[in-house]
Amino acid sequence: MENLLEFKNVNYFYQTKNDEIFALDNINFDVKEEEFVSLVGPSGCGKTTILSLAAGLLKPSSGEVILDGEKKIDTKKIGYMFQRDMLFDWRTVWKNVTLGLELQKPKDLDRKLAFAEELLKKYNLDGFKNRKPRSLSGGMRQRVALIRTLVLEPKLLLLDEPFSALDYQTRLTLCDDVAEILKNEKKTALLVTHDISEAISLSDKIIVLSSRPAKVKDEIHLNLNGETPLKKREDSSFGSYFDLIWRELTNEEQKNNSD
Amino acid sequence: MKNKKITATSFSKSHQLYVSKLKKDKFIVIFFRIFILVAFIGLWELLTYLKVLDPFFFSSPSRIVATLGDLISAGTLFHHAWVTLYETLIGFAIATVLGYLIAVALWWNEKVRKIFEPYIIVLNSLPKIALGPVIILWVGAGTSAIVLMCVLICIVITTMSMLSAFIACDEGKILLLKSMHANKFQILWKCVLPNSMPDFISVLKINVGMAWVGSIMGEYLTSKAGLGYLIVYGGQIFKIDLVMTATFVLCILAFLMYFLVSLLERRYKK
Repeated sequence: MENLLEFKNVNYFYQTKNDEIFALDNINFDVKEEEFVSLVGPSGCGKTTILSLAAGLLKPSSGEVILDGEKKIDTKKIGYMFQRDMLFDWRTVWKNVTLGLELQKPKDLDRKLAFAEELLKKYNLDGFKNRKPRSLSGGMRQRVALIRTLVLEPKLLLLDEPFSALDYQTRLTLCDDVAEILKNEKKTALLVTHDISEAISLSDKIIVLSSRPAKVKDEIHLNLNGETPLKKREDSSFGSYFDLIWRELTNEEQKNNSD
Repeated sequence: MKNKKITATSFSKSHQLYVSKLKKDKFIVIFFRIFILVAFIGLWELLTYLKVLDPFFFSSPSRIVATLGDLISAGTLFHHAWVTLYETLIGFAIATVLGYLIAVALWWNEKVRKIFEPYIIVLNSLPKIALGPVIILWVGAGTSAIVLMCVLICIVITTMSMLSAFIACDEGKILLLKSMHANKFQILWKCVLPNSMPDFISVLKINVGMAWVGSIMGEYLTSKAGLGYLIVYGGQIFKIDLVMTATFVLCILAFLMYFLVSLLERRYKK
């Protein structure tokens, strides 16, 4: 499989009035097509910065971010999903789902509208098409947010802790839903999370980051048996992966505290 | 997830009690609302009738009704009411539209916003009535001076409230739009403006009150007709009946205008 996203020797500094914050230190990794990659690391280490760079919302201070073979990132190839669903309360579910189409006015609008319709139907939301988001549950709202992203047919999905605002049970169910949707639609995804088990159950590859300035500490390729993330949690090697990542992260925490 | 609809037949005893309590509470509220109004008018009439209060200074409900009848039969009431209503509506409309547009412009450009910030704060704290003589010199005595006074009173608060509503727009929503390749105008049009609709409605509500303050104050300064004119004129010739009648009509008009805005609010909330 081809590399869809590549980070090559990426450094990033945040500028503030009194300071220059060194956020990313020589980051190298790649995401292959149809691969699910997770970034884990101590909080505040710069995971979201990496996503913003991949989305083209920020430019690297040095180094290269290459998306689909191009150095200039085409935002239209990216779908961004946030921790909060960011649904617009004043729009119906349908109007929320088609928001991106309204903004981008693509040439094949009719086909994409039909696709949106199909996605809503497929993931049991078409009954709520004309409802306002406030009448939906948290899990449903995140599914609407995911469909809003998928409608634009992005090549790469950036997921910034999309499950962390939900209660535990909804979270596990939605995790399965999202994994299924991404598999069906053959999507590539880069997930940021602080939940180790979530990362293990969803990913093909996990990138462990150090505390700030973030360096790539380890790259773990996973091979778990199980159809869904929930099933993967039952795999015998799940625990050992968990221990491995847990140890790497706690080492970071200790190093942090002794600084 | 399915929402179970409870049918009317399945109401339990405790639910019936709850509903009847709600009805009772509502009845008490409405009853006392009317009671206070009736008691106030009745007491006013009684005290002035018994000469405990001098009707020369306090007027009375019956005198107000009589004055109202005189004004209507003389055909002047509608003229005066219309003059004031006209000034208020024009001032209200200009101030709301202009204030809104200024807020959009200030949202658009952060530097411009920072430059104008202290001026807006000073303008907001300045009692606009102080500008009265200057306004008359600039635009002449008459309707335009009154409308300008009305605009000055409403516009600063409109700009300030709308601007802070625009700025308060969720950064996350804006980031989402940016990640969908939206330009600045689309961010404004699709998110910032609709997101601030509830604030806009409360600005309208505030402006309904402020616009009446502006037009009446304008009429105090300079006028040949209008409810404010009647009030000042009545005060000067010691005809408190006229003052009270004009105030009464003013109350009704202001209430009607507020009512229209709240209709708008109800429609929006649906």
